[in-house]
Amino acid sequence: MKDTSIIRVEELGKSFGEHQVLRKIDFSVEKGECVCILGSSGSGKSTLLRCINQLETQTCGKIYFHGQELGRKQKEINTYRSKVGMVFQSFNLFNNMTVLQNCMEGTRRVLHLPKEEAHSRAITNLKSVGMAPFINAYPAQLSGGQKQRVAIARGLCMNPEVLLFDEPTSALDPEMVGDVLNVMKSLAKENLTMLIVTHEMDFARDVSSRVLFMDRGYIVEDVPPEEFFTAPKHPRAKEFLSRFIAG
Amino acid sequence: MTNTPTNSFEWVWFIAQKYSELFIRGTWITLVVSVIGTLTGFLLGYAVGMIEDVSISKDDHPVKRCILGALKAAAKVYVELFRGTPMIVQAMIVFYGLRQSGFEIDSISAGILVTLLNTGAYMSETVRAGIKSIDPGQREGALALGMSPVSAMFHIILPQAFKNIVPEMANMFLTNLKMTSVLNVIGVQELFLQAKTAGGTYYKYLESYLVIAIIYLVLCFVFSRIFTLVEKKMANKKDYVLAIEYMENTQ
Repeated sequence: MKDTSIIRVEELGKSFGEHQVLRKIDFSVEKGECVCILGSSGSGKSTLLRCINQLETQTCGKIYFHGQELGRKQKEINTYRSKVGMVFQSFNLFNNMTVLQNCMEGTRRVLHLPKEEAHSRAITNLKSVGMAPFINAYPAQLSGGQKQRVAIARGLCMNPEVLLFDEPTSALDPEMVGDVLNVMKSLAKENLTMLIVTHEMDFARDVSSRVLFMDRGYIVEDVPPEEFFTAPKHPRAKEFLSRFIAG
Repeated sequence: MTNTPTNSFEWVWFIAQKYSELFIRGTWITLVVSVIGTLTGFLLGYAVGMIEDVSISKDDHPVKRCILGALKAAAKVYVELFRGTPMIVQAMIVFYGLRQSGFEIDSISAGILVTLLNTGAYMSETVRAGIKSIDPGQREGALALGMSPVSAMFHIILPQAFKNIVPEMANMFLTNLKMTSVLNVIGVQELFLQAKTAGGTYYKYLESYLVIAIIYLVLCFVFSRIFTLVEKKMANKKDYVLAIEYMENTQ
């Protein structure tokens, strides 16, 4: 069978000392998919995402990008990261740069685009998240929701093949969550491949094409959202959902 | 000179005028040694601080790991040595040490070298702390874009760390301006040594040292004002201009 996946994770494990956070993780992401990773805190969701981006090095197992095993060379990892973007819970916008500079840093320094092209890409993407008027502002001058939209635009400027989201709305107050989710919804509509760790159940149900449910370092469910939300099989998934519905 | 000074104030004025050339020369040398020594010391401090901050990864090439390990060990020894000994002793050891091993170094160059080594040792710790003070997320944000760790350090982390340690750098410069006085022991003709000379003729040491005390005070005052201005200039702006050309028309 031909491997058509963009990202495939095989037998991935990660431990911090004695503590095993990820165990035998196997799954793959196809082009255009929007995969939501759900699970309670401490189940390893964020660590999985950070391993995929290589911000954490896995203890065992392999990651394949377009069927090619990802090596350990720094150069190789840099190139891979330029194609697999990441949006963080705490935004991580560069505090010493304006919104515009934040969106041009990657395209200029990593992709070596000419200034005009980097600029027009930045403006296009900032427009798509509704942040273009704020190009001269510094991150400290923006609200959380605005920062996160800029961070998404910064990721999009690299024209990534996959965009990873690590709890993108968890640090936002409820009013701003909607803005960020709307941006993500429109990205899903444009068939951007996304891998999203989130606690936004409505979003996972309505937007995702697949749900991964994690428990104690294992992926215990890997099903379409309709199936996950109506007929969860794993007892932990049932428990998790019952609390969500009750709340 | 017709009228001889009668009290200490007049003596201060008298000595300041009579030996103005000595004092001006001393001021100049004090400035040269402290400015060059401090600036080069900052560079060394940044280099050493960054070396101390680098972590050796298991995936690195063995040669790279060896070199990094050796550099880190050398950095540690250097910092301990220069933070653990008085500058006046360092001056003697560097000056006479170099001379005895056949390097014909003049006292000003030796003075600059000692200032630079001393500043580097303290600065490296400041830089290390400055780097540590930057949220790790800044680095992760850069790496996630595909920037190399070195590029992330130079373009994202250091500019922010620099801003945080400017006050400490100013502090260090003011300290150095005054610490150059110990370099008189190796014959650097900075302010302190000039005061000693000037005071000797009339046996008016108190008055002579009062003159240089005032000079030091003025120098430090002027520089501290300059640093305050620099800091203000670098402070985060509170406002920004909305790019109205990109505002969407809402109807």
